[in-house]
Amino acid sequence: MVPLVQVDQLEKRFGEVRALDRVSFDVEAGEWIAIMGPSGSGKTTLINILGGLDHPSAGRVVVDGLEIGSLGERELTRYRADKIGFVFQQFHLIPYLTALENVMLAQYFHSITDEKDAAEALCRVGLSDRLSHVPAELSGGEQQRVAIARALINQPKLILADEPTGNLDEANEAVVLKLLHELHDTGHTILVVTHSQAIGNLADRRVELEHGRLARISAPSLAKE
Amino acid sequence: MFLRILWKLLGASRGRLAVALIALTSGAAVCSALLNVNLDAERKLTQEFRTLGANVVIAPPAGGSEAALADAAVLDRIAALRVPQIVATAPYLYVAANSGSQPVILAGTWFNQVAKMNSWWKLEGGWVSSRDDHEHCLVGFTAARQLGLAPGSAVQLRSGDRNISLTVAGIVTTGGAEDNQILTNLDSAQALAGLSGRVSLVELSVSGTPAEIEGVTRKLADNLPGLDVRPVRQIAAAEGTILGRIQGLIFWTIALILVLSMLGVLASMAALAMERRQDVGLMKALGGTVPRIMRLFLAEAGTLGALGGLLGFLLGVVLARWIGERIFGVVISARFEVLPITVALTIGVALAGAFPLRLLGRVRPADILRGE
Repeated sequence: MVPLVQVDQLEKRFGEVRALDRVSFDVEAGEWIAIMGPSGSGKTTLINILGGLDHPSAGRVVVDGLEIGSLGERELTRYRADKIGFVFQQFHLIPYLTALENVMLAQYFHSITDEKDAAEALCRVGLSDRLSHVPAELSGGEQQRVAIARALINQPKLILADEPTGNLDEANEAVVLKLLHELHDTGHTILVVTHSQAIGNLADRRVELEHGRLARISAPSLAKE
Repeated sequence: MFLRILWKLLGASRGRLAVALIALTSGAAVCSALLNVNLDAERKLTQEFRTLGANVVIAPPAGGSEAALADAAVLDRIAALRVPQIVATAPYLYVAANSGSQPVILAGTWFNQVAKMNSWWKLEGGWVSSRDDHEHCLVGFTAARQLGLAPGSAVQLRSGDRNISLTVAGIVTTGGAEDNQILTNLDSAQALAGLSGRVSLVELSVSGTPAEIEGVTRKLADNLPGLDVRPVRQIAAAEGTILGRIQGLIFWTIALILVLSMLGVLASMAALAMERRQDVGLMKALGGTVPRIMRLFLAEAGTLGALGGLLGFLLGVVLARWIGERIFGVVISARFEVLPITVALTIGVALAGAFPLRLLGRVRPADILRGE
């Protein structure tokens, strides 16, 4: 079976700085991958390239049959709308839109809006009573759940989460991890950037980066066994 | 969803948008007022100009006999043309007469028409109100001094072996040739001169722009063969110059005000663009294309422009009334054709002022999401 994500000799340079240096790995559909490493190791750069927010300097990145490096700006925009669901550490919700409208915004840029679907997505993350609240009226955990509902609304091929629990307390972290678990159980492919060993241990595999290079790929589940 | 987001955008940055709206409304108010004044002032001023004397003269051809006279039937032919721009028609017959031993020019005319086109004449005593009044006359200021006449005086005029007796109704000061003349009823002058049915010339007061006056002159010339139809060029040119200068002043003032409004909007929008970088970065990350995102922001600016234009138009009507009363001494009424012009100009200014928002299209989502 062809992997959903193929990263082959990926390089990203910012001037003289090599943020990613010949990184290669594959991700199968339905896998949960934790991308780990110290600060400045290239985790966010990797996820930005996978998400079509940045261009690779060299190497190949293929997601669901599309080679990211060959796409123009317009095609990358379409790629993000169709295939990627983002969850960010800072939540990145539009402050003047309600929870419901924030989810519908992703629908709007994807195709057409469906208020009922958006409301159901929020119900699935336990926010049925927060539809008309703006982000300022929601706790950090609730905001992150809105972001997860928004990431899922267009049924993306790949969910990219950059430190999704980095700004949350333990209780909310547990809620978000439970949601990620549920997504994984329902067959979603998830790449999570994290510093947390605990979260890394929940993934099927860990891709560890150091100074922009692939240090190792490990399978915590096997280690646990 | 577009309208839903647009509505939220308008509510999101109320402070900055309010500043932009004030700039747009102020600019639109001044533009609306000046456009109203421009449209109305032209009409009002051309009406005012028509009280400043004749601007078209019809006379027998120049170069002919000095005593060349036209048939008074020309008056009926002018009336038959039914030219709406002709405000007043005053025939004149000039007769060389004597008052005692003093020579004097007697001008026979229609007083009611003379009054219409020369309302600025200074009058001491009374006016001769009826065109058919054969008993009264008006005496020019200089002639009255020479002949020792005052309102109520009797004056005997002689031409050849014919005499008439008139009572002075008033003394007029015109600053023109009339100051040396005695003005009386046309029939009386014709009777004294024995020139029944003859006139020396016909003065017309024609309203309109210089081009319209030129048009009326051509029409009269075409229909009155054998007569010279001449616009009084100094008056027509002066009117044209005044109107042209007023319109030029209004045009450049509007242009300046629009530029100033645009700068006001530009300042607000530049600050707004900084606030919106995050939103645009996120929208692009979510798959929003630049044209689709920009449509939202331009629609926001356009809505602001339309609202500013509408409010500005209403304020402008009030301002135009004030300007009209204070400066022109007339009531300037609202001209609704100014509304679409004002709204269109204000939307244009708002969109031009929204230039900084258009630069948001260059925002790179990766930079924004990194927190740069």
